[in-house]
Amino acid sequence: MSVIRKNFTPAAVTAAIGAGLALSLAAGAAAATPKRGGTLVIGSPQTPRHLNPAVQSGVATGMPGSQIFATPLRFDENWNPQPYLAESWKVSADGLSVTLNLRKNAKFHDGKPVTSEDVAFSIDTIKKNHPFKTMFAPVAKVETPDPHTAILRLSKPHPAILLAMSSSLCAIIPKHVYGDGQDAKRHPMNLKPVGSGPFRFVEYVKGQHIILERDPNFFLKGKPYLDKIIYKINKNTNSLALGLERGDIHLRAFNTKSRELGRLKKNKNLVVTSQGYAAIGPIAWLAFNLKHPILGKKAVRQAIAYTVDRKFINESLHSGLSQPALGPIAMGNPLADPNAKRYDLDLDKANKMLDAAGYPRKADGTRFQVTLDTLLSQRDVAEYLKPQLKKVGIDVKLRIPPDFPTWANWVKSHEFDMTVDVVFNWGDPVIGVHRTYVTSNIRKGVIWSNTQSYSNPKVDALLEKAGVELDPAKRRQIYLEFQKIVTDELPVYWMYGLPYHTIYNKKVGNPPLTIWGTMGPMDNVYLK
Amino acid sequence: MADRPAGAEIPVATAESPAREAWRMFLRNRSAILGLVLLAAIILVSLFGPPLYGVDPFKIRGAPFTPPGVDPNVPLGTDHVGRDILAGMIGGGRATLAVGASAALMTVAIGLLVGAMAGYYGGLVDEILMRITEFFQVLPSLILAMVLVALFTPSLYMIAIAIGVASWQSTARLARAEFLRLKELEYVKAGRTIGATDRRLIWVVILPNALPPLIVSATLIVGVAILFEAGLSFLGLGDPNIMSWGLMIGSSREYIFDSWWSATFPGAAIFLSVLSVSLIGDGLNDALNPKLRER
Repeated sequence: MSVIRKNFTPAAVTAAIGAGLALSLAAGAAAATPKRGGTLVIGSPQTPRHLNPAVQSGVATGMPGSQIFATPLRFDENWNPQPYLAESWKVSADGLSVTLNLRKNAKFHDGKPVTSEDVAFSIDTIKKNHPFKTMFAPVAKVETPDPHTAILRLSKPHPAILLAMSSSLCAIIPKHVYGDGQDAKRHPMNLKPVGSGPFRFVEYVKGQHIILERDPNFFLKGKPYLDKIIYKINKNTNSLALGLERGDIHLRAFNTKSRELGRLKKNKNLVVTSQGYAAIGPIAWLAFNLKHPILGKKAVRQAIAYTVDRKFINESLHSGLSQPALGPIAMGNPLADPNAKRYDLDLDKANKMLDAAGYPRKADGTRFQVTLDTLLSQRDVAEYLKPQLKKVGIDVKLRIPPDFPTWANWVKSHEFDMTVDVVFNWGDPVIGVHRTYVTSNIRKGVIWSNTQSYSNPKVDALLEKAGVELDPAKRRQIYLEFQKIVTDELPVYWMYGLPYHTIYNKKVGNPPLTIWGTMGPMDNVYLK
Repeated sequence: MADRPAGAEIPVATAESPAREAWRMFLRNRSAILGLVLLAAIILVSLFGPPLYGVDPFKIRGAPFTPPGVDPNVPLGTDHVGRDILAGMIGGGRATLAVGASAALMTVAIGLLVGAMAGYYGGLVDEILMRITEFFQVLPSLILAMVLVALFTPSLYMIAIAIGVASWQSTARLARAEFLRLKELEYVKAGRTIGATDRRLIWVVILPNALPPLIVSATLIVGVAILFEAGLSFLGLGDPNIMSWGLMIGSSREYIFDSWWSATFPGAAIFLSVLSVSLIGDGLNDALNPKLRER
């Protein structure tokens, strides 16, 4: 509760809300003070393809998706699973089955009850269509002994299963709507979604807005507090910031612009917080195409690592708002290795390594030329890397893509030398980390797969083992060993955790600050 | 005119060569001189500034977002990465002016070729060439240039070509009109009767006389091309590996509320170069137009 408290200034309100929120999170009971009614306006620069998170990952779909669709579980801000659609659950001792006891009063927005059939159907649909293949891969089948009990039978223990059943990863979709035989990825109802979450769908105009309204039959009595949520879409992030300052927009999440955040922090009506992103674990890295004749050499990659100054990125480029990322697991995650091999800035060493690797400086001072691509959002880092790598004689040719699909095409077809990329951990390494390092995920045509073509049988074996290890201490040991190998071989060079921040108006009560943040249900949020 | 050499054989007051006379007319126009001085200054700084200042415009020279006048090392401040704005201003002119000049050259080359052919030959050639010109004329030129640049990888050459392809139509129209007019004049007819080839008539007899309006329009096109380059870079379609004023504005526009200087200085530089080119164009127009000479 102390974590939440610091975001409110008046002391009296603090205690009341802090206590209320903690209570509501712990027991799912109604908080004491919240006010009913009002329309929350959320600003977002992204236009989602559609609103069904069961078949689509990502922030754009996840934010509204978590309001429309309920999930079996939800998580609080301390990584503790909480009841949601399932009022209780039980994991068997061998880790091979999970029993969910569903709420009996849960209804979809069209009035039909949520049953175990829907849970089985949803998990099956996610398994077949969602880009995160590892999430439900071990689920062999879902048994439905009665309408309110679902039993997941696993082929092997799966420590990530509880997280995989929480916000934005496991939307429970109605079988009677989406089970009509049409391709789930292209289902017309993905644009007019029917779920069982706190808010129901009203309207979506692409590039303009998404309007959701309170579902009066929501299964948690008295929730949600808000009448409406409007997601205002505006590609121009400057306009979103102005909207916050004017008070037209109450909340904006996933902002990384350090200078703008500094300005907004000074605004008396706004609160800026980095809380609410623990489960997302966004890591920005420099990816190498290991098929490249020069970048394929470990010494060259290590030399580049010694050249990139993480400290400069964190402290200067991001004005101290980002944290260094030292390895494949986000720093906020208990599984991360705080003692991973660091590559603190050392240009002499980098120069010597490149000389030794057989790339001496030519007459013009350069050693070789490589291209560097970047996600548009991380353009400033790419612009920093160009002159920085020149210091050790690497001539970087920037390729700035005109848009996201162009960049994704370059990278997923493995036609790149290096790229700045941002990849999410999604809470558990099995979901968000393994995909980058396992040989089996070298899949041309899939973005955010192992596009580096990294292959090490030892890493494959370790990750296989870690995926089924139920004992947290042993699991951590395996991941530490894995981190030791990849931080030496550097298929990618992790630079920083993306400085995601949420900015909200002080009028917003119970702001969404759990591990899923704005990608979790906002039934507790209210307007003062 | 009092100091005319005593031995001058032709006693007419306006006995100078047309070029000299134009130059004299040009010098009478104060704003044109201002433009010329400005442009000369910009070109001189762009040519000799980078080796004199000696700073790679991509190099990080200070803390990001240093305002102007705070760090003597970077008098105009730094951008969001920490690059020296002054170095960018000095080094960025080359690319911007080069794109402007080569795009104008492209424009005139295409426009002149098409216009000359259409105007001189007339008939079916004219019909076909003018329909093609109209086709390009109805396409919004910035969007056409954007498509061309986005289709191929953005590079300085591609941008110059794209601007040329997107904006040659008015030059073609102008050239055609001039050729239509001039080809009926007596000296052209005379040339034809003594057996001059079409090629000679077009390039040697008519062209020099058709040039004045074309030179004026080419000058103005330089200004337009500079703006085009800036516009494309602003939209993120510039060449990220060559420093230009447009690139500076394009990469700083996200931060416009937080650091006014990183977009304002290159913006002012673009403004001044376009202004200088326009002033020169106006001056040339007056100087080369015989009807305005006695004003």
